[in-house]
Amino acid sequence: MTDHTVATTTRQVLLVVVFAIQLVLMLPLVVAHPHGPAAWVAYGLLTAVMAVVAGCVAAAVPTPAYLAVAPLVSSVLATTALPAGASFTPADWGFGLVGWYLLLVLVERPVALVAALSAHICFSIAWFAREGSGDVGTAGVVILSGTSFQLGVLVVTRVLHRDAGLAAEAAAEHDAARTREELARQREQDLRAGFEGQLGALLPLLADLADERVSVADQTTRLRCSVAAVQLRRLFAENDDVPDPLLHELTACVDVAERRGVVVSLAVSGTATAVPTEVRRELVAPMAQALAVAHGRAKVSLLRTATEVRVAVVADAPETLPASGRTGAVTVETSVHSGLVRSEARWRTT
Amino acid sequence: MADDVTAVVVDDHPVVRAGVAHWLSTADIELVASGEDPGVAWTGPGASAAVVVLDLHLGGVAPATSELRKLVEDGRRVVVYSMRADDEIVLQCLEIGALSYLTKAEGAEHLVQAVKAAAEGQSYTPPALAGALAGDRSDTRPALSPRETEVLVEWFQSESKEFVAQRLNITLSTVNSHLERIRVKYAAIGRQAPTKAALVARAIQDGLIGLDDL
Repeated sequence: MTDHTVATTTRQVLLVVVFAIQLVLMLPLVVAHPHGPAAWVAYGLLTAVMAVVAGCVAAAVPTPAYLAVAPLVSSVLATTALPAGASFTPADWGFGLVGWYLLLVLVERPVALVAALSAHICFSIAWFAREGSGDVGTAGVVILSGTSFQLGVLVVTRVLHRDAGLAAEAAAEHDAARTREELARQREQDLRAGFEGQLGALLPLLADLADERVSVADQTTRLRCSVAAVQLRRLFAENDDVPDPLLHELTACVDVAERRGVVVSLAVSGTATAVPTEVRRELVAPMAQALAVAHGRAKVSLLRTATEVRVAVVADAPETLPASGRTGAVTVETSVHSGLVRSEARWRTT
Repeated sequence: MADDVTAVVVDDHPVVRAGVAHWLSTADIELVASGEDPGVAWTGPGASAAVVVLDLHLGGVAPATSELRKLVEDGRRVVVYSMRADDEIVLQCLEIGALSYLTKAEGAEHLVQAVKAAAEGQSYTPPALAGALAGDRSDTRPALSPRETEVLVEWFQSESKEFVAQRLNITLSTVNSHLERIRVKYAAIGRQAPTKAALVARAIQDGLIGLDDL
């Protein structure tokens, strides 16, 4: 239950209670005793307050605090219209009812409510003292019983409010924890899926080697191993936090090829440009593939102009050609000239 | 003709001087002087050498661009030979008026060709320099035609002019003339220098480039 629900329910319940008290309990008293005409004005004023509060509850808007003036005025009118010596007797219909009205109007404002109630009680006591003929014991019982019941209701609503607040906080925290958990799971899943997608040639190769379907004695298997090694090395480099990730990935691929004995020269021109991970993958892939199967010499170049990023490889590796075409934002062009493969991946930055 | 080419090498590493001396001797280029101080290019036999091969980092941290400027303003033909390959310094050396810029990663073949070209007052554009020109994003860069850009990029990527010629289906001399035109366009911008003026003037005389292209 939220704070708002507590407030609405409290007002609805109080409205019913006040309506019942005014109509069933108090109306017969007003009629039965010889009050002055001001008593009917007070009764009418209170009825008007009930109508306004009912309107506010129906429209789901807060009850204006200044409305509390009306019950206080009614308190004065009803008390002064009492027959002589009738304070705190059954004829004093206004004392209890005004208290309920103040509760109805100010239930969301405890400090103002206590102040208004005090003013109301003080006035009633003062009037009682002025008359000077009533029984103090009876008056005390009436004041205590009426007021303590009303203050009891106030305390109960405050407790409900506090509990609702705590419950809402606990619920929000629980929701946040669940969201965090869900996000972490999603992230892990993405990472796993990403790695599986990236591992490409590696998993089938490992499976084949494990099942002894292929042998490392074969040249083809060694080539597959070489391709997988470059892919894996690039994948490791992908998430490194470096100033120039594209160059970092290129260097990683070159490194693997050099370990295989290929003489690779890497030329870089232009300043570092931000390249999305997906695009970087596509830019590096053709060059990585060519390097993996290159023998002898290879030349890798990275060129960054104002409008383009171009990764090219010229290598002695005509057996396996990187596929030409367009994947996403990257255009790959591969050609063979006098035994040398040239493959270039281009990405327009603008 | 080749016998007449003389050069002086300024480099603070004896092993580099020895290596360059050996490379040049195999190409019939006479090394008349060498040393770690730029003074060797101004006095003695070095003062009359046709080409100065200048290391940009002579011991200090700051590149020796002021030495390069003095030499160029005196009309000397300079080939810069440097460890550094960052584009900014490369373009700055061209702007001052160096006829070529080679990184030490580039081998004997490029150095010999650069020195021979410089002796004739010609530019030479090795692959790394081509890359720097292709990646040039400065506001003052000259407008290159799509073909010129493509030649530049392909030469940077493949390091083989024969490969570029095959790829673009043009002759070797067309590849060279594209590279020359690009260098003339670069020579026509920025500060004035005798070597740059000579490059432009000769290109116009030879009909390699029109005034409208500059």
